[in-house]
Amino acid sequence: MSVRDDILTAIRQSLGAPAKPPGAISAESTALAAESAQSRPELPHADLVEAFAARLTSVKVVGASVDRIARIEDAPAAVARYCKTHGLGLALALQPDPALAALDWNGFELHAAISGDEAIAVAKARWAIAETGTFVFHSGPASPVLLSYLPMHHLCIIEADRILGHLEDYAIAEAGAAPPRNVNFITGASGTSDIEGRLVRGAHGPAFLHGIIVDPGLSEPKSS
Amino acid sequence: MPAALDDAPAASFKQRVAAALANPDLKIAIDRTTRTARQKREAAVADWPGFAPARDLGRRIKDHVIENLDHYLVEFERNAAASGAKVHYAATASEACDIVIDICRKTKGHTVTRSKSMLGEEIGLPHALDDAGLNRVETDLAEHIVQLAHDRPSHIIWPALHHKREDIAALFREHHHTPPNSDDVGAMVASARRELRPSFLGADIGISGANFLIADSGAVCTVTNEGNAELTTTIPRVHIVTAGIEKLVPGLSHAFVLLRLLVRSATGSDITQYTTFHCGPKQQGDRDGPDEFHIVLVDNGRTRMIREGIKEMLRCLRCGACMNHCVVFNEIGGHAYGGVYPGPMGAAMTPVFDGLKASRDLPSACTLNGRCQEVCPVDIPLPTMLRGWREKSWAQGLEPQVQRRFLGLWAFAASRPSLYRFGTGLAVKALRLLGRGGWISNLPLASGWTRYRDFPKPAARTFWQEFDAQDRKREQ
Ligand code: SF4
Repeated sequence: MSVRDDILTAIRQSLGAPAKPPGAISAESTALAAESAQSRPELPHADLVEAFAARLTSVKVVGASVDRIARIEDAPAAVARYCKTHGLGLALALQPDPALAALDWNGFELHAAISGDEAIAVAKARWAIAETGTFVFHSGPASPVLLSYLPMHHLCIIEADRILGHLEDYAIAEAGAAPPRNVNFITGASGTSDIEGRLVRGAHGPAFLHGIIVDPGLSEPKSS
Repeated sequence: MPAALDDAPAASFKQRVAAALANPDLKIAIDRTTRTARQKREAAVADWPGFAPARDLGRRIKDHVIENLDHYLVEFERNAAASGAKVHYAATASEACDIVIDICRKTKGHTVTRSKSMLGEEIGLPHALDDAGLNRVETDLAEHIVQLAHDRPSHIIWPALHHKREDIAALFREHHHTPPNSDDVGAMVASARRELRPSFLGADIGISGANFLIADSGAVCTVTNEGNAELTTTIPRVHIVTAGIEKLVPGLSHAFVLLRLLVRSATGSDITQYTTFHCGPKQQGDRDGPDEFHIVLVDNGRTRMIREGIKEMLRCLRCGACMNHCVVFNEIGGHAYGGVYPGPMGAAMTPVFDGLKASRDLPSACTLNGRCQEVCPVDIPLPTMLRGWREKSWAQGLEPQVQRRFLGLWAFAASRPSLYRFGTGLAVKALRLLGRGGWISNLPLASGWTRYRDFPKPAARTFWQEFDAQDRKREQ
């Protein structure tokens, strides 16, 4: 017998009960998943955009700031604003996403390949989650994983209608879709509390995370 | 015996405890981290009214998985294989290490980056990689410290908890190419970032653990704060996961319930900075990611835990709350336990890994105050398990003669009430003579304890004396 079969046999024998039919197992599992609705944390606002923005700038999310724009076309200006505030140049790694590439990046120095000591990366997230202030990225031809981890400043663009309420809503939104190599949930800048439990940001990943929410409901850009 | 314990201190538990108690720095270092951890957890739990129902649901999700572990293992394997992952099975620690080393050899890897994994420590993977001549680079900051110091992790969340800031600064000054110019924690973290970045970029193989194995997709979930896991798993040609079979969950929604419990109980945050699901190798057109993705599923005592009657241990999320709240752990630290897992959960599991004979002191070194179970996010009955090990140890005649004799003496007295009350009354009087204020700062026969800590002075009267006095009052 293979090690695999040994382990499977050992499990069943140790449990001392016959295996349940798959249908019964999956019914139980579905019921358990449904129950989580009863204990999920409450959102600070009924409006998901407000809830997400509030969460992102709360003390609960490390090293994050937020800006809001009305149209995706305003993204380069928002990025320039951020760079100016932080005294950064305009050289950056841009996610090779067609929607971003189509924007007017005049004045910026863009590159698609990310370097080991990249200062800034700009990327569009697939989803955001209001409960935790999280950006969700799927890896793919237009979305390299390392854009989120190598730079010092991580700028994440998210469209208002892609903001979900709770973690489980992501599972529902992507149910049935073939998963990518990586799904990255990113909540704030990287940090560590490994030395005496004290939180320090910028451990191996970015030290700053800046969210840019594209909200058509907004007429004037506003920063916080 | 797991390879990780080959270099475990040869001294007995009592000697290790004595050494820990005699080290004043250790107590300072433990307190600095666990106090913050306890406060932050408490605030996080208070902030979430759903904690109690979620804890109950989390327990039932884990129990459901344990009852159907073979079903979920097969489902996970099928989906992982469909995503392009290679799934391996290991019954023991050494089998698991052999599989990993074999993959390293076949893929001609030399530099191996590792992100922290308790299962990796449990199976002795760091040593196995070193012995195989591979260039092992620990990338988690705490594991990096442990690697530089040539010692062992002492906590499952903060492996370098036994090192004070000042010692770490000295270590970095000695080993880093561009060392920090101050003992400031921020400067030290920046120094580690500089030091490790070239290793991330140059690694051939990345090894991670898993916090959850998602059965319905075959994805592996890692939960970290530093970003080192993703740099470890994305850049190298090969990504190897080592995971215990108990990490399975049916689907994403179940993982999220447990994630909320895990993170709040571990660090007091609501979610970690990085929660990543790894599914298969790099896909067509992907700009980065590994060419090969291997998952090593490890039993190493887990099916034995079911057989030994402690299957609830398989619920464990490895959050560390039980040790942060344990009075014994907070005095002696993690190394004194001798095994890979310290604290209450370590004391409950180590007898399975090392045999009860070698580890029977661990379940005994417990006050049974119940705090560990109270704070456990999946309600593991740790005190009951520890009591169970004590009973087994007694039944198997593993307790030393002198203990058996003393207990016999106690039993003799305890079954004779007047003799018992006389004896305890005498002991209380003697102890109170030694105390000043509420504390005893020097206790004969226990100076190892009282040198750096005080012992509480007992109440003026024993319970029975107090009871009799109250009784008399009532009768008057
Ligand atoms: S036993 Fe419970 S409290 Fe201890 S590490 Fe495991 S899950 Fe956490």
